[in-house]
Amino acid sequence: MNADGLRKRALVLRAVRTWFADHGYLEVPTPSLVPSPAMEEHLYALAADDGWLRTSPEFSLKCVMAAGLGRIYEIGPCWRAREQGPWHGTEFLMLEWYRAGAELVNLMDEVKSLVQVAFEAVGRPAPTPWRRTTVRDLFIEHTGIDLRTASAVDLSSQDDDWDEAFFRRWITEVEPKLQGSTIVEDWPASQAALAQIRDDQPWPVAKRFEVYIDGIELANAFFELIDTQAQSQLFDAANKARLLMGETPHPVDYELIAAVGKMPRTSGIAMGLDRLVAAACGWPSIDPGRVRRTSRRLPPEPAR
Amino acid sequence: MYQTSDIKKGLKIEMDGKPWTVTEFQFVKPGKGCAFTRTKLKNLLSGNVIDRTFKTGEKLEEADVENATMQFLYKDHEAFHCMDTDTYEQVGIPAKAIGKQSDYLVEEMEVEVLFYKGAPVSIEVPNFVELEITYCEPGIKGNTATGSVKPATMSTGATVNVPLFVENGTWIKIDTRTGAYVERVRR
Repeated sequence: MNADGLRKRALVLRAVRTWFADHGYLEVPTPSLVPSPAMEEHLYALAADDGWLRTSPEFSLKCVMAAGLGRIYEIGPCWRAREQGPWHGTEFLMLEWYRAGAELVNLMDEVKSLVQVAFEAVGRPAPTPWRRTTVRDLFIEHTGIDLRTASAVDLSSQDDDWDEAFFRRWITEVEPKLQGSTIVEDWPASQAALAQIRDDQPWPVAKRFEVYIDGIELANAFFELIDTQAQSQLFDAANKARLLMGETPHPVDYELIAAVGKMPRTSGIAMGLDRLVAAACGWPSIDPGRVRRTSRRLPPEPAR
Repeated sequence: MYQTSDIKKGLKIEMDGKPWTVTEFQFVKPGKGCAFTRTKLKNLLSGNVIDRTFKTGEKLEEADVENATMQFLYKDHEAFHCMDTDTYEQVGIPAKAIGKQSDYLVEEMEVEVLFYKGAPVSIEVPNFVELEITYCEPGIKGNTATGSVKPATMSTGATVNVPLFVENGTWIKIDTRTGAYVERVRR
């Protein structure tokens, strides 16, 4: 247990909650035990009782948005199976916020302000200035490849589909180079998740951005999909992909699909809070801020 | 076959017709993409280190390698000869596969011999060895200034930088992974 790490995490948490209160956001705790844990096929969830442990509060918070609340946020534990490493834990703390009527650029400003506040809470300067760029420009810069025309084979010599080939290059050649604070826009449409698609660009991209601090993915923001039919099709496609991988499909969240149709134009963002704390403190992993438990038998206490 | 979740330091895998050992690894998963494990792999035959990224779900082939603790006997032009102290069986490891390790090999030393597909292919010396200095400039008594070093030649022919106060004929402990002087030892 790292007492100093836990103190610093508490400072960041308090600063974050104060920031949201100051900016008119309502804290809305939603259930951890949910009927459907996730849509995207790369997320693995833990089954619990007759439901699931959530992989994100997204579905529940969208139901709350549909009920007419304009600015909401939640900080709470989420669970993703098969994810463990210096920057991943099966259980982690997620921060999500949703703002009716907001464009992505509004969320970018909020992210910058919030990151600033988190760093200040532990007495360190946030890396500035922020760089705002696109996925395509970063690929040209670091690999010389133009994603608009590149095929999976151009991207990877391994047996990868396009998205896998893209991410293989991204994690090895692009992401590690993102030093300082970076906002990365215009992700391939095939990785839209629950974002709307932009058709005014030279290639199909999703209306979403990611936030990086010193090579660590901190947050994912979306101009949210509000089309029930498209939402329903995405769920089906993800479940088909799951079946092809030999995995169990996730229950379709019909309440979410109905809610999406009632949501106003909304932008939303999910941020790994353990990572925000680690970035603010300059740690090499999320570990110093976390309490870990073990089922291993402990060695006997020495006799006093 | 191994899964990507089996990857850990020291795991030995077969890839592109060669045996490799994992020296570093990290789980990486983009929020909206599939998971990968980034690794550094050391070729067990050549010692070359490469970066390799595995996609979760990829299968890794097990390398047919075995370790045996043996005693180093002697070297000749072609090979370094070692013996199993239980069975007295002797094996010769091709000299060209030994490389830097030969700097630290002294007769009767216990070493790890690596067998690949049944054939001895390399020697691993202990992390720390003790060797005698056969030549260095005279010691300067009391000079314990940190950072000041002089080259010393070992009984094996290896050159190690030692502090100025160390005398010719002294036995010293060396970290074989870095080639660095650790301390003087009494023999």
